[in-house]
Amino acid sequence: MHLRVAGFTIHIAHADRSWPIAPAAAASAFLVDPAPADVEITVQVGRCEAPAGAPVFESGGSWRLFRTADGYRFSFVSPRSSAPYKIADFTPDFSSGRITLHEPFFAGMPAIDPLEYPLDELLIISLLARGHGVELHGCGILDDQSGCVFVGQSGAGKSTIARLWLEDERAVVLSDDRIVVRAHADGLWVYGTPWHGEAPLASPRRAVLKQIFLLRQLDRHALSALSRTDAVARMFAASFPILHDAAAVEFTLGFLDRVAATVPVRELGFAPTRSLIEFVRSA
Amino acid sequence: MEDQDNTRKRRYEKPEITQVDLRPEEAVLAACKASTGQGGGGPGGGNCRAPVPCSSLGS
Repeated sequence: MHLRVAGFTIHIAHADRSWPIAPAAAASAFLVDPAPADVEITVQVGRCEAPAGAPVFESGGSWRLFRTADGYRFSFVSPRSSAPYKIADFTPDFSSGRITLHEPFFAGMPAIDPLEYPLDELLIISLLARGHGVELHGCGILDDQSGCVFVGQSGAGKSTIARLWLEDERAVVLSDDRIVVRAHADGLWVYGTPWHGEAPLASPRRAVLKQIFLLRQLDRHALSALSRTDAVARMFAASFPILHDAAAVEFTLGFLDRVAATVPVRELGFAPTRSLIEFVRSA
Repeated sequence: MEDQDNTRKRRYEKPEITQVDLRPEEAVLAACKASTGQGGGGPGGGNCRAPVPCSSLGS
């Protein structure tokens, strides 16, 4: 199985056909033909045991991160299992990995997605933080061959904005919740991701990044300039930094500063009406 | 020459501290996601395995 998310090609190899693997519904649009991979992953089914030692990072949710002699280990837990239901080991540069699925937990399932959230997103943000870009909590729109991003935390109105743009035939919604920004030789690009919001909208397409809007709900449409510092701080607060890794945090901040220096980043006060589309196009 | 130097200088702006809210449960992917599970997310929906209540969606 080959997936491509935000320009990263991931190859998942699974030899045991008695445990069929398949991507989650939203990720199926990101399947690609076999191609040279940026990340090689093997999947095995067996018994998972809780990693020894203290975690490097405790998410407070379903996953924990440990350091190992060979790299990093993600451990995923659930109330339905006393043992971790999944363990994912990666090399330090995340170019290769091994996923172990806890057999008792997955027995009887018709198909399994080894990269089931949050592992898929953890993998991508780990890659991005190592010099490749940033993921933002934002709605991405491809409009007239260029991309704009509407950034905001939960409840800011990202999915609302996505639904407005969905009605416009000229636009493509890349995502209503998570987008990736990467820098290539020809500039900054915005990518859709599988991790949609309430809309739900997820596209594997990408667009040249033209501008970023930081959302604020209002009773009218209004644009406000931001200092570069404020723009970076607010984008950082709506990103997914690798908080346990100082070098990764430094890279993320520097990358966001580069973004703020390259494209307009402004505050957009908005009312949820269709007139917002023309307002943004004329901005 | 001295007048030209003065006009090029930027006005001094006193440093200010701006606070920005960070939502750690969203930033570290601790919350459920609407896209989890083949049947869609939502409270108790799909196969979201996270131990936190799915009402705390991260989107």
